[in-house]
Parts: sequence; structure tokens; C-alpha cells
Amino acid sequence: MNALREKARELLAAKTVQVVIGYGRGSGGSARAVFMRAPAQAAELIFDATCLQNLAVYLMKPEVRKLGKAALVATPAALRTILQLAAENQVADNSLLALAPVGEDIMPLATFAAIEAHVAAADHDLSAAEGAELGKFAAMGLEERRRFWEEQFSRCLKCYACRAACPLCYCTRCTVECNQPQWIPVPAHDLGNLEWNVMRAMHLAGRCVNCGDCSRACPVGIPLYLLNQKLISDVSSVFQARSGMAARSDNAMSTFKPNDPEDFIR
Amino acid sequence: MARIGVFICHCGENISATVDVGKVAEAAARIPGVAHSVDYKYMCSDPGQQMVQNAIREKNLTGVVVAACSPRMHEPTFRRACAAAGLNPFLCEMANIREHCSWVHEKGDATTEKAIDIVRTLVAKVKKNKALQPIKVPVTKVAMVIGGGIAGIQASLDIANAGHRVILVEREPSIGGHMSQLSETFPTLDCSQCILTPRMVEVAQHANITLHTYSELESLEGFIGNFKARIRKKARSLDEKLCTGCGLCAQKCPTRRIASEFDAGLGLRPAIYVPFPQAVPNKPVIDREHCTYYLKGKCRLCEKVCPTQAIRFDQEDEIVEVDVGAVVLATGFDIKHSDFFPEYGYGKHKDVIDGLQFERLASASGPTLGEMRRPSDGKVPETVVFVACAGSRDPAKGIEYCSKICCMYTAKHAMLYKHKVHHGKPYVFYMDIRAGGKMYEEFVRRAMEEDGVQYVRGRVSRIFERNGKLVVKGADTLLGARPMEIEADMVVLATAGVAQAGAEELAQKLHVSYDAHKFYAEAHPKLRPVETNTAGIFLAGACQAPKDIPESVAQASGAAAKVAALFSQAELVREPLIAVVDRQAPPLYSSCVGCFLCQSACPYQAIEKEEIRGRDGQLLKTVAKVNPGLCQGCGTCVAFCRTKSIDIQGFSHEQVHAEVLALLNRGDRDA
Repeated sequence: MNALREKARELLAAKTVQVVIGYGRGSGGSARAVFMRAPAQAAELIFDATCLQNLAVYLMKPEVRKLGKAALVATPAALRTILQLAAENQVADNSLLALAPVGEDIMPLATFAAIEAHVAAADHDLSAAEGAELGKFAAMGLEERRRFWEEQFSRCLKCYACRAACPLCYCTRCTVECNQPQWIPVPAHDLGNLEWNVMRAMHLAGRCVNCGDCSRACPVGIPLYLLNQKLISDVSSVFQARSGMAARSDNAMSTFKPNDPEDFIR
Repeated sequence: MARIGVFICHCGENISATVDVGKVAEAAARIPGVAHSVDYKYMCSDPGQQMVQNAIREKNLTGVVVAACSPRMHEPTFRRACAAAGLNPFLCEMANIREHCSWVHEKGDATTEKAIDIVRTLVAKVKKNKALQPIKVPVTKVAMVIGGGIAGIQASLDIANAGHRVILVEREPSIGGHMSQLSETFPTLDCSQCILTPRMVEVAQHANITLHTYSELESLEGFIGNFKARIRKKARSLDEKLCTGCGLCAQKCPTRRIASEFDAGLGLRPAIYVPFPQAVPNKPVIDREHCTYYLKGKCRLCEKVCPTQAIRFDQEDEIVEVDVGAVVLATGFDIKHSDFFPEYGYGKHKDVIDGLQFERLASASGPTLGEMRRPSDGKVPETVVFVACAGSRDPAKGIEYCSKICCMYTAKHAMLYKHKVHHGKPYVFYMDIRAGGKMYEEFVRRAMEEDGVQYVRGRVSRIFERNGKLVVKGADTLLGARPMEIEADMVVLATAGVAQAGAEELAQKLHVSYDAHKFYAEAHPKLRPVETNTAGIFLAGACQAPKDIPESVAQASGAAAKVAALFSQAELVREPLIAVVDRQAPPLYSSCVGCFLCQSACPYQAIEKEEIRGRDGQLLKTVAKVNPGLCQGCGTCVAFCRTKSIDIQGFSHEQVHAEVLALLNRGDRDA
């Protein structure tokens, strides 16, 4: 923690960056995002087990972009996010500094190459618990699965918190806001909820880096991560592709390769 | 307020036999926004078109729906008619109630109901149609022909004679292709080289033709009328301007035992060589894989003897960049060699040869100077077996198709053999004789009847050596499948014609589609046989499928005519049914977020990056832009765009959505 605060203070004092995006203590013992713009504020920074949010989401917010060059306290998911945003032409190389906590220490990663090397060294497979839960979900029959999601989506309020929390939902105009014509119905009825959530999952296929923030943000506790993890595992097994691993990569869903399996065409 | 005219066609009885067209017209009249609804026997006839035009003028229509056949059939007809009456042609839509309805259903109420639904859908769409203007693209009036065989030569000459510049690219050191290897040609038995070489010389001397031999296409970018080609001129190791083609280098070259490609491996050539004496250009190349200097670092004998000091050992490949407006693909074919046939000895019997090798044996310019001598020991073969359909029409060998030229050249081979060895006994094993073509059947009969060639209908199961003879085991199926064994001195396999090595790679460079056998695919098997699916790239000759010389030449002239037609206008006019990326007022500029995932989804490389800059030159936003010359309007990008920032003109989200709603809201029909 001290190393982190020291690094932040140093970066801000030297004006290497204009803002440090990190975690501070929130209400009820939780962590919240803080935006440090002066060296003195650096003492507020924390990093512990409560620091789960993917702070890379703020890289795409115009209000934060306006502040200038940012340093970002980056969890492994945040690092994957930065690489995926790079692959989608959303961030430029050398335009930000990722601060990756390693034990008590802090590793500054200034380039995509450095982030790629750091990400490649870590294990990003689903944890045993995640894998088991996904297995249970995948084992459901089609009818059971449909009932499961109908029940889950029936609680959806269309508050779009999942979208706001998602670092890859950076579009300035979301499909759901297109009303000429209105393909996705706005009201939070069953059909609208199903279309919204399925559409969002499909838009993340081959892109989601599995940070889990959509599920954490959902006020009614819909396990959205299941949809994303299923798509991640399918994209990986079908196309041998994984998002968030390289700053230049072909999107699995938009790239045709002659050896792509075509066994879904019957 | 929309004022739509609906015109229901009977199509003679094609539609009216199963659809109650009167009822469709009545129902259409009740659709909100429809100002005029009629039915007529032949809407595409002159009076029918007149009805549409009169209604546009009299009822001041804002849109037209013609319920008739497929838009592929008559959409252009009716759009032209609308344009003539002053209505933007893209405000006219076809409702396909023939292929999609009357032809595929029985007569009945449900069929009529479906026709009404289709009309309702198109009325809903046309209300959202916008007036569109055709797209104009400039045309570079230079053609690139890839492949300098007879097809490429013919296409080049025809285009050049039409007054346009041609760049002819040939992979080998000389143009001429397979035709230059042939001895005589069917069905007239005139000498192949005698008719080909004047054309080759004409190519070399034509003011409009730039010839790049020993060159390959490196890359092709761009679109119809506006391609950018990069051509790799491989190093000949020679200054072509200095070389006079005297041939002294080839005479003195000490490395002389290299199998000659031109003689199909039957003859030998030196390391510095011209493929054949009539080569165009008559300039040698050094074969760096075999030249002693490149292998061992010494020799340079050719350099010493060259009277003009033209040898350049350190020459490097050169990349030439050219702008071209059209491309003709004439890369030709190859044949399977005798090593493809385990049953005939995997090519290990020297006297089992393929058709091209026989051509060289029979040719006056060949390794035996036209004397019929077999490769193994130079003896005159007394008995020769010709095996037709070697590989072709054999699904077990993965070649289901007929190679088309073999029946004819096998008859020619047997005839040539008989003309050279009067006492010889030629046998032909065949499956069927396919001699369709002018004077072709007569030619085969001449082989059988005048030249005494023994035709045996049956297949050869095995060839093996016994006592210095090649034993050909087969069956005569016309004599009750009687087993046959012929002791031959030489066997000629009419092996299957296959695509050139590298055909697939080249197709991918050009984004041209090809079939399972790597032959290039024409845009339509009957009606667009010389075009590919990529606009501006045309096909000539055997790269599309095995073809004989007259057919290749005819197709080459066809492709040349297409190129000349393309070059006849200063600008290319295209239908504006293409994708466009939305543009909005600042500060958004466009709802496109510039993720460029559409770029990889686009099969036509039509998506470019556009930098939107402020007055001071500062970069405001980088967004996608569709190149109107390249876009084919397939809509893949539209489906892929998360922000729905891309739309297809003429098939916009609004239009398609309106169509879907019109179908879903069937309940309002009788209201």
C-alpha cells in the first residue's frame, strides 16, 4: 500500500500523469474509485481484497479523458481490458500508465508490450469454482435454461447499471438507444428484458475480458457473468481465441479464417 | 403523405393461375398510403410499363411497388420506366409474388393471402425509401492480364487493339504457355507453334502492351477501375537492355543436365537458358537453383563469353507498381503427372508418359526432333497404348469432372503416332468419346477409320513391366468385359487437367472465388461466364476449367470485350445500394466509435479509416468510412456494428424494420 501511495505521489508531483485512478475507502468498508489530481491526495489510496472494481472502465469516460494522461491501479482484469480497448482502437500506446500491484510492490507498465508480457505471465483461466458453476449451467437442458433465464431476466429493471459498469460498453450510442427504428424495446417487460440482455451478451462475445463488474453492478443480482463466461469458453474452444491478451488482435466474431470450423452449418 | 402505386402482374398465367390477382389488387388498394392499385396481364410489356408511367404522372405517385417476378428479372426494367416518368428509380420496388409465391404454392386462398402479405411488406418498405443517386467512380484505362498463354495473349491483343494499354504478366521466362509445347493441334493438325509464335511476336511488338515475363503478382489492392497492382519482376540475372539474345551463354554454360520444363522433363537444358528458340522475349534467365556460381561461388563463364557484358549476378527482384482498371486472369492449367497413378507404377516406368510429354516427343522442336522414340532407350515403339480419362471422371481419385480436352488430343496423339510409325499399333482405352465441337467427331472417326487406331472401350486396371514390355491390363466392355492384356512399348496417359499450382494463393490475393478443385469461379455459370464475383476481374482460358484452344481464345476475346466495355466510359456508374457510416453534427460527428471490427468483417476490404479534423487540423475523431467503389452492399458490417452506425442504402434499418412490422401486424389487414 505504501509503495502504491509513494508511486502515486511521485507521478503526480513530477506531473508524469495528470490523474491517478485508484481505490479509496468507501462507505461500509467497501472500496470506491478515487481520482487523485494532487500529490497530497495520494494518502487516500488503498489496495486490498475489497478492491474488485475494474477501474479501466473510467478510461473511456469523457469526463476522465478530459483530465489528461492517467495512471491506473490495474487488477489483472483491468490490464486485459486495456489490451482489448487497444485492439478496438480505443486507447493509444504510451497514452496511459498501468500500476499493477504485485504483492506489496507496484509494477508500472507504460506500454502495451509491457502489459502484454505481464498478462501473458498470469493465469486467466476460470477458477475451479467458476468452472464448476458454469458446468452446472451448461449441463441444463435447453428448456430448463430458458426457464432459468426467464426467471432471472424477469427481475431486470433495465437500469443499465451493467452497461455503465462494463468497460467495453463504451459506445456513445448504444443499440438500445437507437429508436429510428427501435429494434430493442425500451420497457422492462419480458421480451424487452430478454432482447436487451441477449443483445448485450452477443455484443460482448469475443470481447468480454471476464472482469465480472456487470454482475457486481446489477442491483437485482442477475448472474450475467454466466452468459459472458459461456461465450468466452465457446469462443475459446471454437476459434482458439481469447480477448484481452494482445493489443493487436483479430476479433474472433468478425474475422473469417479458412480453417474456422463450420460444423454449426447443417 | 405517401402516394404509392401498386401494379400487380399476371405474368401470363405464371402468377394468375395460382394467385387471385384481382383480390390482391383490391387488398392493396386498402393499404394506407396506396393511391393506385391495378392488375395487368404483362406488366413488363410496353403497355404495362406505360400504365406505370401514366399513373406516376396522373396520380403524382411518390413510390411504386410492382408485384411480379424476382427483382433479378425485371427490377431494372421498372426502375428505368419510373425514371423515364420522372420518379427517382430507387423509389420503385419489386414484390416477388412469382418465385416466392405463385410458383411454389398450389392455387388457393392461402396463396393469395401470401401474395397480399408480400405486397403489404413492400408497400411498407417503399414508404421509407429515399431517392438515391448513382455512384460514379473514375476508371483507369489500363488492363492487367495475368498469364501469357494463348488466352492471355489473345486477351492482351484484343484489349490493346481496342486502343487501351495492357500490362501482361507471365510467371515463366517466356510467354506462350502450354500451347507453345504442343506439336500439332486438333482438329486440323496444323503446327501449334506456327500459329502461336506470330501472336507472341505481335504481343512483344505492340505499342500498347507492356510485357513483364519472369514476373508474378505480389499484391492487388483497390477496386474496379482503380486497382493498384504490385508486380515482382524476378531477377533474370541479366541486363535485358544489353542482351541481344545471341545465345552464346547458353551454349557455353557447363551445367547442362537440368530437366527442361519446356520439354516436360524429357529433354535437358543448361542453367542459363531460354525455354525454347522462339521464346518471347528471346532473353535468357539464370536458374539460380542450379547455376554453379550461385551454388559454389565460382564459374561465371557466361559473364566471360557474353559479348555485351549483360550478365548481372547481383541483380535483385524488382517490384513494379502499376495502376490498372481491370484484371484478366488467364493463368491456365496444369496436368496430373504419371506419378499420380499407383496402378500405373507411380511414374517409375520411364515409358509411361503423360500427354504433354507425348506432345514433346511428337514435336519437331522436341528432344527427339520429332522422331517417335521412347524415353527409356530411344527405340521406336511398335505398340503404344493411350489411356484416356487417366484420373478424370474418377471420384475415387478426387477428380469427378471431365477434363474435356483428352478425348480429342488422344485421338490426335494416336494419329500422329501412326503418321510417324506406319507399321505401329496404337490402342486407345476410353470410357466415352466426347467429341462435341466443330469437326471434332469427324476427327475422331478419321483416327479410327483412316488411321486404324484401335479403340477399346474399357479402363486400364494395371500397368507393369514384363520382359522389357509394359503389360497393360484392361477390359473390353463392348465384348462382354473380356479381359485384355496388351504388351506395349510405350503408354501415354491422358492425365486429368488440374488447376495451376498457386491458383488458390493467387485467388486469395485477388479476392476471387474458386471451386473445390481450385479452378476460378465465374460469376454465373451460364450468363456471366467471363466475369468473376469481384467486379473488374475477368476470366479467360483454362484457369476457369479445362478448355481447348478455340474455347480459350473465344473466352479471352469475351473477357477483352468486357474490359473494352468497362473502359469505354470515363466514369463507372454503380448502383448506390452500398453501406454508409452515419455522420452527425458535432460534437458527436458520427455515432461510430471507431472500433473497426467492421473492417475485419468486411469481405471486400471496403472499410477505411477516416480522420475527422477540426479547422486547426486537430484530430477530433477517427471513424469508419465505406469506400463506395469497393462496397458490394452485402450488409455484413451492418449486422456487426454494435452502435448501428452503418446502414445500407436501399435496405436501411428503417426499411427492413417497416417490412418486418408489416408482416407482424397482419391483424390490421381487414381493418
